[in-house]
Amino acid sequence: MFKEEWRIHTSSFENKAFASFPIIIFTLTAIASYFLPYVLRIMDISLVFKYVHYMFMFLGISVGAFGLFGKEIMNRRFGQASLIAYSSRSLPISERTIFSAFFLKDILYYLILWILPIIVGFIVMTPFIGIQIFSSLFACSTLILSFLIGLSLIFFLSTIFAHSSKILILIISILVVGYFAVPIFLNIQFNLIILPYSFYYTHSMSTLAIISLLIIIPAIISVVFVKIDYPEKKKHHKNLLPMLTKKFSFSRYSHYIAKDFIDLQRSEGGLGKIIFSFLLPIGFTYFFLTIFLELIPNIKIIMIFSIFLGIVSNSIYNMINAFDTFNPYMFLPVKVSTIIKSKITSFVIINSISIIILLIATLSMNQIDYFLPALLMLVSITAFSLATTVYFTGLNPNVLIYNSKIFIPYIGLLGCIIFIFTLSSILNPFYMLASPLILPVSVLLLKKSYKKWDSWKPYSI
Amino acid sequence: MYAVKVENLTKSFGEITAVNNVSLEVQSGQLFGLLGPNGSGKTTMIKTLTGQLKPNSGSATILDLDAEKNPIKIREIVGIIPEQETPPSFLTADEYLNFICKIRNLDDPENRCEKWWKLLDFEDQKNVLCKDLSRGTRQKLMVAQAFLHEPKLAFIDEPLINLDPLIQRSFKDFLIDYVKRGNTVFFSTHVLEIAEEICTEIAILDKGHLLHKGPISELKNTKQHLETFFIKLVKEG
Repeated sequence: MFKEEWRIHTSSFENKAFASFPIIIFTLTAIASYFLPYVLRIMDISLVFKYVHYMFMFLGISVGAFGLFGKEIMNRRFGQASLIAYSSRSLPISERTIFSAFFLKDILYYLILWILPIIVGFIVMTPFIGIQIFSSLFACSTLILSFLIGLSLIFFLSTIFAHSSKILILIISILVVGYFAVPIFLNIQFNLIILPYSFYYTHSMSTLAIISLLIIIPAIISVVFVKIDYPEKKKHHKNLLPMLTKKFSFSRYSHYIAKDFIDLQRSEGGLGKIIFSFLLPIGFTYFFLTIFLELIPNIKIIMIFSIFLGIVSNSIYNMINAFDTFNPYMFLPVKVSTIIKSKITSFVIINSISIIILLIATLSMNQIDYFLPALLMLVSITAFSLATTVYFTGLNPNVLIYNSKIFIPYIGLLGCIIFIFTLSSILNPFYMLASPLILPVSVLLLKKSYKKWDSWKPYSI
Repeated sequence: MYAVKVENLTKSFGEITAVNNVSLEVQSGQLFGLLGPNGSGKTTMIKTLTGQLKPNSGSATILDLDAEKNPIKIREIVGIIPEQETPPSFLTADEYLNFICKIRNLDDPENRCEKWWKLLDFEDQKNVLCKDLSRGTRQKLMVAQAFLHEPKLAFIDEPLINLDPLIQRSFKDFLIDYVKRGNTVFFSTHVLEIAEEICTEIAILDKGHLLHKGPISELKNTKQHLETFFIKLVKEG
């Protein structure tokens, strides 16, 4: 499985390019850690640790949720590819064994790909930022625990979902209510319910035991009760294409957009995908920024939120590209650029939700005076980050981003613009009224992308 | 008039030369069989002729169009059944054929599809998602999509694999009738019995090299079986 996962990621580029991805993560973390003392001037270290623990838990959730959220777990996660994980039908291996191996593989794979590079990047910087090496190491171990709780939780929830979506909703409701109710009714400090974070401060063995149970029990339940739907009963569906094509007839790509919407609707967990890849990060960002708002009242947080919203909305482009490759179009009179343009149109339609989110955030942050510059910045940063994604990854954003040769210039170009926008918006939010000046650059980049990807040819025989 | 004209065509992937300096012509109205063992370069040949791959050298002219310069135009006028059936997972069979009609800008999709539901006998599967279809039904779908626009030339890569004998018969009859009406079929296969039965002309490819090209009647006149001829030729290299 490990080999297969590696080969999936290296199918479009050479091994070295993928192998250096953790090195880039390490470098970025080391750079970010170097600036930690500046953050600590405005934020208490315990607060920083708390949110980093949240982030690691979220990373575990998002890694585990990748493609797993659906009744046809194997089909969705492994596609129609003949991977070993799909072998329980033809080999004498039980689904449980395979699911357990898959779980362990995900832990190992993402520990190596993401977690360890982040941790090492932080640790090597500790002598320069005045944090004790022991406390850094200890923090790293509690961060891994946070990651594992997130991963275990999402595997548990996906197994529940495979049995019943109603039970899933009930469990999520209990978890959400519990999250807020426990500190109130049991008179526990709110912070302490993030157990690995609590363990960092208390070093309590009973807390460690509870954390272990929180990782092990959901993992065992998800393995024992794993349910994989092999679609024996063929469902019949109404032909939605003509109706949807008519609906999107304003675009010359109406039939492609209709297909994208059918894909979204019929691939199970469509809503789950939107929640996990878009709404959850946005909610998380909002949560963080409202904390900042209390700490730095002079900064117009809505502007920062707008930048995040623009970047995270890119995940919608990734999502609509997850359903197919260009292969089904290879033998048809279709250019790669046609499909890219249609995906961009679908992206724009779905992403209109960002404007509503921005409006709600502006109102709730009581910063309505800054709605217009925030909106213009949202449109500008969304367009630029989309154009950058399209230029560097075409129709394969989910795979090519792991190519370090692509990731470095991608993050460099995007990072420069984000930095300029962030700085300008902090100096004066109304500077952002000029942010649409970047739109012609985005259009130019897109035009270059069309040319680039139209001349792309696959390597396979 | 030549439907397909190939001159010194070479296509390599790194150190592997899949098609090696091949030249051949296919006249209009032929049911041309491109035969060869697995990995002989048949699929690469079709992909290069239809502009899906760029050749390293040489040229191919398809219905008077240069394959390298006009890949989209060529795919507009020809029909292609790819080697692997890859209809989009979440569309139904009916939606997929409608989608193809939209891509090809074809009128009256219902009537066009109707003919194929009946000919290949899979109307009962039209509302099933492509991912849930059997391989045979997916293959039927790929056959149907290639002929929806009634092309003058069709490139078909192992189209009969996964089809049951009854459907194979219907499709073979369709192909025979189709070329009788002046159209051309470029049929890649390693199933020699089928090639012997329906092809008017054959070419044999092995390790990228063209070993033989000629009318099937030549073999029939010398009372040679295609299988014996093929095995001898490939073994001799």
